[in-house]
Amino acid sequence: MSKPEPVRRNPEKGYVAVLGWSLNAVEALDRFDRRYVVVAPDWAEEYCEKNDIPYVSWNFERLNDRSMEIAETLQKMGVDVAIPLYEETVEWAGAINSVLMGNPRLFGQAMLLRDKALMKRRAQLGGIRVGIFEEAHDKDDVIRFLKRVNQTLLKLDGDPNDPIHLKAFDKAGCLGHRVIRTPDEVDTIPDEEFPVLMESHLDGWEFAVEAWIFNGKIRFLNISEYVTLGYSVFVPATPELEKFRPQITQQIEKLIKAFEIDFGFIHPEYFVTSDGEMYFGEVAYRPPGFKVFELLERAYGFNAYQALVLAFDPKTTEEEIEAFFPREVDDARGHAGCFGVYPRRRVVSELSMPEETEDHDYFESHELTAPQEETVTKRTAFGTHWGLVYFFGDNPHQMRDLLKRQEELDFYV
Amino acid sequence: MKPSNSDSSGGNAALVKRLAALDDATQAMAETRDFGKHLKLRRVLDSLRRVMLQPGGFAAVEARAADLDEAGLFHGTDWATPEVLIPALSGNGLHSENADTVLIEAVSELRMLAIATGEYPHPMVSAEDARQFLTQVMATNLALLFTPPNEEERIKQGRMAQLIRNLFRHLGEKVGYESILDRLVEEIWRILRQRPIQVEQVQHLITQIAIYRSDPDIDLGSAGQGVDRLISSLFGTTEACREDPGVEVYRERLDAMDANALQYEAAGFARAMHDTGLVSPYHAVLLRFLLDESDYLLAEAMGLSSTGRDCMLRYHDLVHRLIEAAVHPQTAQSIYGLALLLDRGILYQPPVAPALWRQIALPLSPYAQERLTLAYGSTPAPGARLLSGVLSILGLPLGVGQGDNPTCQSARALSMWAYNDPDYLLQVLVWAARDDEVIMHFEGQPISSRESTGGVATTLPTDLDPVSLIAVPHLDRIYAEMGRRCADRQGDPHRWVNPEFHGWSSARGFRINVDVETGKLVELDEFLRHFYAAYHPHYNGDQPLIHPQPAGVAVTDSAARYIGWHAITILRVGLDPQDVMRLYFYNPNNDSGQDWGDGVVVSTAGHGERFGEGSLQFEQFASRLYIYHFDPLERGDPERVPAEEIDRIIGYIRRSWGADRLPAGELQASPEPSSGCPG
Repeated sequence: MSKPEPVRRNPEKGYVAVLGWSLNAVEALDRFDRRYVVVAPDWAEEYCEKNDIPYVSWNFERLNDRSMEIAETLQKMGVDVAIPLYEETVEWAGAINSVLMGNPRLFGQAMLLRDKALMKRRAQLGGIRVGIFEEAHDKDDVIRFLKRVNQTLLKLDGDPNDPIHLKAFDKAGCLGHRVIRTPDEVDTIPDEEFPVLMESHLDGWEFAVEAWIFNGKIRFLNISEYVTLGYSVFVPATPELEKFRPQITQQIEKLIKAFEIDFGFIHPEYFVTSDGEMYFGEVAYRPPGFKVFELLERAYGFNAYQALVLAFDPKTTEEEIEAFFPREVDDARGHAGCFGVYPRRRVVSELSMPEETEDHDYFESHELTAPQEETVTKRTAFGTHWGLVYFFGDNPHQMRDLLKRQEELDFYV
Repeated sequence: MKPSNSDSSGGNAALVKRLAALDDATQAMAETRDFGKHLKLRRVLDSLRRVMLQPGGFAAVEARAADLDEAGLFHGTDWATPEVLIPALSGNGLHSENADTVLIEAVSELRMLAIATGEYPHPMVSAEDARQFLTQVMATNLALLFTPPNEEERIKQGRMAQLIRNLFRHLGEKVGYESILDRLVEEIWRILRQRPIQVEQVQHLITQIAIYRSDPDIDLGSAGQGVDRLISSLFGTTEACREDPGVEVYRERLDAMDANALQYEAAGFARAMHDTGLVSPYHAVLLRFLLDESDYLLAEAMGLSSTGRDCMLRYHDLVHRLIEAAVHPQTAQSIYGLALLLDRGILYQPPVAPALWRQIALPLSPYAQERLTLAYGSTPAPGARLLSGVLSILGLPLGVGQGDNPTCQSARALSMWAYNDPDYLLQVLVWAARDDEVIMHFEGQPISSRESTGGVATTLPTDLDPVSLIAVPHLDRIYAEMGRRCADRQGDPHRWVNPEFHGWSSARGFRINVDVETGKLVELDEFLRHFYAAYHPHYNGDQPLIHPQPAGVAVTDSAARYIGWHAITILRVGLDPQDVMRLYFYNPNNDSGQDWGDGVVVSTAGHGERFGEGSLQFEQFASRLYIYHFDPLERGDPERVPAEEIDRIIGYIRRSWGADRLPAGELQASPEPSSGCPG
């Protein structure tokens, strides 16, 4: 095996800026042919200098009067496009790209993608099915919404309520996501979490999509199957979910149209109900959490961060992007999945990988670490898992059952 | 990545798949610039571990050593510069609690091996240096070559403890044992002096050494004094099998011998067997042959004492039948068990002979047959294999080992019964082997091993002697169930469990010096004084211990740090040849000779120990004790124990496992670890 050759960066291709610090992303860009620069808070500076990583210091707070400064800095450097890595940098990318590309509409688009309430309205206007939703500014709003939703469902007094979901407007994924069933539970919400978006509960099969878009067209569409939301995901999905691919593709095309997305990467979530109807949940204009990019690389062999660069770079050619992506499902070498571990006991003292897991043919690796404290914090909202366990294998059904099975095992005792 | 040219996957599908994952992960790491290497490390390490757990895994990693090195596995660590590595430090890496450190160290060793064999030409390390390095690593970690993991390693390392043993076997076979031969032979003798029932590991090593010696290309020089005796005790014990001719040829030669020649053969085997504790397969051929010759020669061939000879003659038919059924070349080791069984005279206990007749005719359950076949193969038949195990355990009650399993209580009970209550052992074995169910009573309530859900061990053991193999899973479940029935009681459950589990002879009086709630030491002075009054001849009216008693010790490592609780049996107390009062005990661990730190080193020979006993000076033993049983009606003289003696013991405790358990005001107590194999 040879040492990695220093990559020759092609001056004919685009020059990209990534917004936010992700070592995985930097590592991938470092061995790709585009010129790149990392825009990240000043704590990353020393590391970047030490390792010859092109770097511009910027602290991403709320957009303010100085926001033009970073756009102009990047413009002077000759940067063609900014790529957001985290939810918090999506609006920054929109603002910067509207300057770099001379297209003010991009900023408005980013704002739509950043606010869950605006996003839902826009989707609804575009003819996409969504559940019932409302903004809440205080606890009374939540109680009222819970009652109204259950009234709509023709529930009688004493029937168990259908739950509602509460989400922060502008946070990624599961952060701040709560499920409320009774008015009593409303009291547990801290005041500082308001305002929030409230949604009716949709019963159905939830899944996520990762779509790379270039010149307004889908270039690669992955369907990520959740085994249990917040715990596990794998790619490619089972044939049962993949059979919806034509409908899903249609839905994504609607979304592209509704949000006027010309390039880049989106990560929407949907429910499919038992009668095959698709409901839009939300969409993000940035890489997904839960290491789906890593899973895609394991399953298909292409680097999803490099794909991101291709889809954002205006100088990418049709041929280049065609050649880069494999065929969905057909070209996968197997199914890659991961499981997020939450301790099941209240008090834990050590990490103890179940032999059943470790010995399984599909098991690949894990990034669990020894517990830092002995008492496990009770989960109120959908909390953060303690680490991921990775699997890879041929059979999607076996993968699904294996991931499900992990929920019954103790990784911390 | 270039495909590896020396894959020894040999059709092992699991290995092939795991290697594919390893190669993929290595490739990903290789493509990454230095600053991102650690992002790819996790998958490489996890794949490595999975590969090395497979047969053929070490050879496969060895073949990939250069690729792994160049991909950057060692990047940013001391291992990145093999030319400065120090062999003496590799033991720390291999015994680390951190599985990743163990893996990196293991791959580093395999890289040295690849360099030594010329597979991986390294710019900074010559093949000769690499070989020298590995030799030193093996010499300083000899125990890894032939003893199963002890309590400390099992708790700290889990499965990695076995992995590094397999690694050493691979290294030994590739590098050769000649340079470490002297130390190796010394260590083999030390193990054999404890007369374990299971000698497969030792036999394997001796066989390896024999193979090296027979290779004309290897000059051993003066190395390996004492190895001849070991090799000959297995392969060329007597004149007629000197050149290891094979059992058929040997059998033919016997036909042609006169009484004198047979006498010579018999005496030769008996001497070797009693000298080493090892039995040659040829010995089995001779013994079976002598069944039709003369009882005199039979007794000679077993090297019996006058007691043993009497016993054999008195129970002539039984002994003949036992040899016919149990003694085969594959089970030759049982001859030593039979000889000692006869010498112990236990056949004179009325129930033992009829119980052995029952054992000979015992129909085994299909499950028991399957487990025996799985562990030992199908020759001889499972019934014969089990019977040979019965002879071994009854002849060598202190030779029982727990293998690589956390079941020290069950091993201890089997040993205690074989020593003290052999017909009860045979009864339990019948229930286990024939009925797949053992029922014991706890305070009047029956406990079935079949209904009881889980034992201390989570998987079925396979690395045990035949009797333990069948009985331990049952005993372990019953023991655990007894503990569960005490769950809501105040204090330590061993108070009730030990007497009910081991039998009436385990005394009902009970003392413990650890407060179960807090883990702190309590009533130390009283605990120690009463221990003296119960066990020490100077304070108990010179009363020798009558029945072996269960006890619990806090095992510490060689730096005197607490490791875990461990079950042992107190066997006897007496003056050693140097007139020092010593306590002799049985440790179900496979090697009793352990260094518990602060000068407390368990001796297995040279201080009046009988085979299989470990011993410590009385006060040193008391300093590691945390649970004992005693007869409350026998008072002894606790007040007469000198305060200085008690203080000395407390000093030992303070400097070791008691450091953070001393009563309030001294130091903080630590929360109780849930590990170990308590008393």
